[in-house]
Amino acid sequence: MKLNKEARIGICIFLLPAVFLFAVFFIYPVFYVIVRSFTEWNGITAPVFNGIENYKKILSDPVFIHSLRNNVIWAVCAVVVQVGLALLMAMILSKQPRGWKFFRTVYFLPQVISGVALAAMWGAVYNSDYGLLNGILKAIGLGKYATNWLGNPKTAFPCVLIYGLFYIGYYMTIIMAGIANVPEDYYEAARIDGASELQIDFYITIPMIKSSIQTCVLLAAVFGLRTFENIYLLTNGGPANKTSVIVLYLYNKMRNNKYGIANASSVVLIMLGVVVIVAIRTIFAHIKTDEEN
Amino acid sequence: MSGKKQFGSLGSRILKWILIIFFAVYTLFPLLWLFVTSLKTNKEYIASPFSWPAIPQLVNYVHAWNQANLGHMIINSIIVAFSATILNVFIATMASYALSRFRFRGREIIYALFASGIMVPLNAMMVPYFMTFQKLHLLDSLLALIILYTAVNLPVSTVIIRGFMDSFPGEVEEAAYVDGCGFFGRFFKIFLPLIRTGIVTAATFCFLTCWNEFVYANLLTSSPETKTIQIGIRYFTNQFSTDYVSMYAAIVIAMVPSIVIYMVFQEKIIAGLTAGAVKG
Repeated sequence: MKLNKEARIGICIFLLPAVFLFAVFFIYPVFYVIVRSFTEWNGITAPVFNGIENYKKILSDPVFIHSLRNNVIWAVCAVVVQVGLALLMAMILSKQPRGWKFFRTVYFLPQVISGVALAAMWGAVYNSDYGLLNGILKAIGLGKYATNWLGNPKTAFPCVLIYGLFYIGYYMTIIMAGIANVPEDYYEAARIDGASELQIDFYITIPMIKSSIQTCVLLAAVFGLRTFENIYLLTNGGPANKTSVIVLYLYNKMRNNKYGIANASSVVLIMLGVVVIVAIRTIFAHIKTDEEN
Repeated sequence: MSGKKQFGSLGSRILKWILIIFFAVYTLFPLLWLFVTSLKTNKEYIASPFSWPAIPQLVNYVHAWNQANLGHMIINSIIVAFSATILNVFIATMASYALSRFRFRGREIIYALFASGIMVPLNAMMVPYFMTFQKLHLLDSLLALIILYTAVNLPVSTVIIRGFMDSFPGEVEEAAYVDGCGFFGRFFKIFLPLIRTGIVTAATFCFLTCWNEFVYANLLTSSPETKTIQIGIRYFTNQFSTDYVSMYAAIVIAMVPSIVIYMVFQEKIIAGLTAGAVKG
């Protein structure tokens, strides 16, 4: 339909607040960190242009490289383990076994609880003196494996990483919604052809929910790259920067008034995110499903 | 899936139930352990992490409440989360109406930009956000959090509400034209009532995100007057680290509102996730 004058004015008025906030809090900051990443700035005096000096500095800083490595491990584990398990459980619960709604509710629960509360709870689980984990180990006769989970350089990073990987409710719910949208005819046709349940799962359900899986893979990878809160709360990067991640690195640089370096870290993180998103989209576009052939 | 469900052999049925129960226990057991521990005395807790409390120590909750000034923080969190949610949903609904019910040049680009905001790593924006609020002289104020939360939740809310908006056929407008309703009339008289569910869904999401937010509350506020409940829990766990049971009580107090909201709005949360994410 042709837009009359009232509608044109209305559209402008209705879009204005959202566009304004989006410009200030999404577009401007991206340009801000890019431009400021080429300057040296202590937050007080005027920023001084210093070319790619900040990038040279962070890329030769072992702490940054280790943080980057941790982020990559985090993203890969989230994609493979967390989304993988979510897919498995979505397939199981979508067949609506007894109590499936209850289990879906339970699995999703950690998603609504704050990261601070969860981190504090897991801090209590991992506590070396009175923690739940050491308590369980001692109770079942494996007391010799008890350790200071978050203080031990060998166990600290796996511990902060692993607890969230088994919270699968978020991705599982997305995938279950995808499965619910698969037309029933496909299943009936397959059953008439005598396909087994396992064959139906692999040859019908999984290809049909490609876009849901892609969404989960994208989110898991992106969340893995930007992780901060639980590390900051549980170990603050320690022991000896073993558990540091990029956002924690940039937070610490910012706290030390090294804004140029903090901004360069932000840019690396943003670029890495763009590369990962493009890569995942490309890979999924090349996975052809029967439907598209 | 309807009809008879075949679950295959006994072995795979057992494996299936082991998995189902494993994830349930993994989620619930630490939470229940935390809750039970929060009712013990420190002495009981240190003696054994598994025992039941001889007498449930509700006094731990009183301690937690008073020592950390939780009441004040909860009020702060309520102010911030309610204000940001109302503003956010209001702005997102207006934008969704324009983006969903009208065709104009640039519409899809604006929407695609908005939606891509979900992927922007907000944690990487600490420096610009901090500097912006410093310039506005809003550091250490609840207003800074309200503005930031309103803005950063816009992409998700817009995607959710537009999804609901899109689901109505064009006949809705045609009928309204006959009645002589213009741009604003159709919005207030027809679409606002129609998309109530979408608005509640987006609001639930937004409220939970605001209530649970820690990173920017930590960065942008510093004084005791502006602490939100999440910051409170953080400081509580640092300050009173030897009074374990009160600390656990404080964590439980911080969790309860989220869990209650989840129980009440569960269907909405799952619907919102579905609407927002499947289109991704």
